[in-house]
Amino acid sequence: MVQLRPRASRAPVSAEAMVDEGQPASEEEAEHGLLLGQPSSGAAAEPLEEDEEGDEESDEAPEELTFASAQAEAREEERRVRETVRRDKTLLKEKRKRREELFIEQKKRKLLPDTILEKLTTASQTNIKKSPGKVKEVNLQKKNEDCGKGNDSKKVKVQKVQSVSQNKSYLAVRLKDQDLRDARQQAAQAFIHNSLYGPGTNRTTVNKFLSLANKRLPVKRAAVQFLNNAWGIQKKQNAKRFKRRWMVRKMKTKK
Amino acid sequence: MGEFKVHRVRFFNYVPSAIRCVAYNNQSNRLAVSRTDGTVEIYNLSANYFQEKFFPGHESRATEALCWAEGQRLFSAGLNGEIIEYDLQALNIKYAMDAFGGPIWSMAASPSGSQLLVGCEDGSVKLFQITPDKIQFERNFDRQKSRILSLSWRPSGTHIAAGSIDYISVFDVKSGSTVHKMIVDRQYMGVSKRKCIVWGVAFLSDGTVISVDSAGKVQFWDSATGTLVKSHLIANADVQSIAVANQEDSFVVGTAEGTVFHFQLVPVTSNSGEKQWVRTKPFQHHTHDVRTVAHSPTSLISGGTDTHLVIRPLMEKVEVKNYDAALRKITFPHRRLISCSRKRQLLLFQFAHHLELWRLGSTVATGKNGDTLPLSKNADHLLYLKTKGPENIICSCISPCGSWIAYSTASRFFLYRLNYEHDNLSLKRVSKMPAFLRSALQILFSEDSTKLFVASNQGALHIFQLSGGSFKHLHAFQPQSGTVEAMCLLAVSADGNWLAASGTSAGVHVYNVKQLKLHCTVPAYNFPVTAMAVAPNTNNLVIAYSDQQVFEYSIPDKHYTDWSRTVQKHGFHHLWLQRDTPITHISFHPKRPMHILLHDAYMFCIIDKSLPLPNDKTLFYNPFPPTNESDVVQRRTAHAFKISKIYKPLLFMDLLDERTLVAVERPLDDIIAQLPPPIKKKKFGT
Repeated sequence: MVQLRPRASRAPVSAEAMVDEGQPASEEEAEHGLLLGQPSSGAAAEPLEEDEEGDEESDEAPEELTFASAQAEAREEERRVRETVRRDKTLLKEKRKRREELFIEQKKRKLLPDTILEKLTTASQTNIKKSPGKVKEVNLQKKNEDCGKGNDSKKVKVQKVQSVSQNKSYLAVRLKDQDLRDARQQAAQAFIHNSLYGPGTNRTTVNKFLSLANKRLPVKRAAVQFLNNAWGIQKKQNAKRFKRRWMVRKMKTKK
Repeated sequence: MGEFKVHRVRFFNYVPSAIRCVAYNNQSNRLAVSRTDGTVEIYNLSANYFQEKFFPGHESRATEALCWAEGQRLFSAGLNGEIIEYDLQALNIKYAMDAFGGPIWSMAASPSGSQLLVGCEDGSVKLFQITPDKIQFERNFDRQKSRILSLSWRPSGTHIAAGSIDYISVFDVKSGSTVHKMIVDRQYMGVSKRKCIVWGVAFLSDGTVISVDSAGKVQFWDSATGTLVKSHLIANADVQSIAVANQEDSFVVGTAEGTVFHFQLVPVTSNSGEKQWVRTKPFQHHTHDVRTVAHSPTSLISGGTDTHLVIRPLMEKVEVKNYDAALRKITFPHRRLISCSRKRQLLLFQFAHHLELWRLGSTVATGKNGDTLPLSKNADHLLYLKTKGPENIICSCISPCGSWIAYSTASRFFLYRLNYEHDNLSLKRVSKMPAFLRSALQILFSEDSTKLFVASNQGALHIFQLSGGSFKHLHAFQPQSGTVEAMCLLAVSADGNWLAASGTSAGVHVYNVKQLKLHCTVPAYNFPVTAMAVAPNTNNLVIAYSDQQVFEYSIPDKHYTDWSRTVQKHGFHHLWLQRDTPITHISFHPKRPMHILLHDAYMFCIIDKSLPLPNDKTLFYNPFPPTNESDVVQRRTAHAFKISKIYKPLLFMDLLDERTLVAVERPLDDIIAQLPPPIKKKKFGT
């Protein structure tokens, strides 16, 4: 089918030539028009011959034709037109067929997750042992072949997804449900937090609690302080630097 | 004992997560504990309270209820609305099933153990039938207006009580309809509180329902008439949990103030048959909320926000007053969270969702024994490695050379290669892990860092060859046919020839790594292994069991060593056997083959096999060897166990080189400082 393309590009050239000549070769023109309209038709040889004929005709003065020959020519012409139309139809049919196939395949591709899900549930434990080898195979195959290749690639894809799913690296969920569930879980957590730590629960702070414990200890210790670590960063760094320098100095004097 | 320079590490910022539920199993004398991060731990109460199994947590799986059913099957339910059954053999989750009622707050197994009841956020109570390999939804009970926070079966199995907000409903199990609805008083010390949450209910066989609520009351209801019989106001804060003894003669409640109250059924007068419930003993072992309690035949078990699991034996139930009657407080996991690279002086800390790699500081100063040396170079935080996904880390390990890090979550295994260029550190993940290696229970590198040993949760042991930046699967030791038991502990010899692996109950197997076959099995012992290690040169396997026994087994000769036999004949010192915490790490001194270094959470010990063993009369703990006394006395008191209790709580201790030790401590105050705020209590005189 791909071969058709170059001829299609040829046809307009001849048509242009004809227009330049300005000959009233209506039939031919019509035919050429037809050819123009259907760039993907027939074999290359036939229209070429036709063009030559047309050229000859335009060069010479109109000849006298016998009725029989004219009739034969007309018939021939008619036959040709019919043939092209027929060819056209079959081509169109074929195109449609291809398209339909493509659609079916796309649909199948879209449907895949469900089949996987089905397989997921039915996949037996025994397959798990086989899966590492399978994955390797799949990887190799994938490298070798192009992405858009009908049945074969689809099969591979199924296999791959399956093996991955057996590894349980993902879980298929409906996002809508998940959102609802998360919201409910959060609400539940908020409830428990509110009822334990919310207003009216008489909570103290950890710092107060520890200082109270320290107060009642027989041996008093330094308070456990809770400072915001972001406070006085510069001062802390200076102190650290100073300490390091001081230590280096001390080490030197020791030696 | 020898002198060591000790790195005293206190920057392991580990906070255990709060305990949410405990469930006691009477048949096997085991305790299941679930934490707020979704971790579930199994403690064996007959094996010296050893934490023998654990299931790693999951971010979205906040467990709210935990129960045993049908004998030994463990179920949990949580706020994600799923009921989960755990596989106690293979140590993974058998299945998770959505109950379709929103978040689940409570769960109770029927007295016969064949049915499971869950109470959901949407007010529904759902009954599930427990089939041999799954659970199956059976029916809904009458739907309530608000969430069901607590559930309890009547021991005869005919009725259930469900605690909700502001009321308790009693259901008839056969019809599934509400028989009574008992409204709980919102009044709290004369002030009307917003709502009264019934945190716990317990149904007794005589028809009494006991409820505990957020107003601080313990109330007794008659389920036949639906009336309040008696009310005890016991706390200024919420009473959050209740558990009843099997004989129904005592029960225990836990409050948000951290107090646990014991109630007992005692006769009104000394010789009358009439009995009444009396609050007998308060226990204050917790500082924060007691979210859950359990009642075993001989002890009260409680756990809460302050992350301690407290087991308080009841004195009147204990027949012999031995050390088993003492209080137990379990705070730290009985497994190692820290691994160490000796060559590069690195420590790898394992947290729930990340790993931290630190380089130890160093000092050039010298000092006397007992001096604190100033650091000339501070410890460096080299790496913060966060896991992907919501699962907790099960185990992690750094290779002795410091150039590999491996860790595992419940579904994935990760191996990283570290490159050190001067002060820079680069990390590269080794991709393409084999598909069969999904999760590991224990990871170990060989001493020369060329081999990686992984105990997978299917019971198999995998050996990998590490070379350059790549790795290769060498062999897998499959578990003995018919067993699926997971291996939890690994030890490899210094020459890399022997690999010892132990499961929770299957005993210790020793494999020959060169010939790739099972070499021998250590004679069975009926306590779980807590730590083991293979001594260099001699290839003696030292095994510590949870009953505090230490055995030494010669791998080449396939029998216990003479020293081990002598120890067993002589027996350990009673103070050694009375320690609370299991030994979690064993190591050896490269230059002193007679020494075994081991530690638990409260002591560090060097066993010198050349010295005589102590008998029960000798002074066991001798913190500092006497220096001014005569040599004779010193020699007479010297015994094989040299114990240091300076460092506690000690999470990890290892030998870095011949003269240097590293000790990782985690002071309890630092943990408390990071917990949620406790209830305010007035203390006299402050």
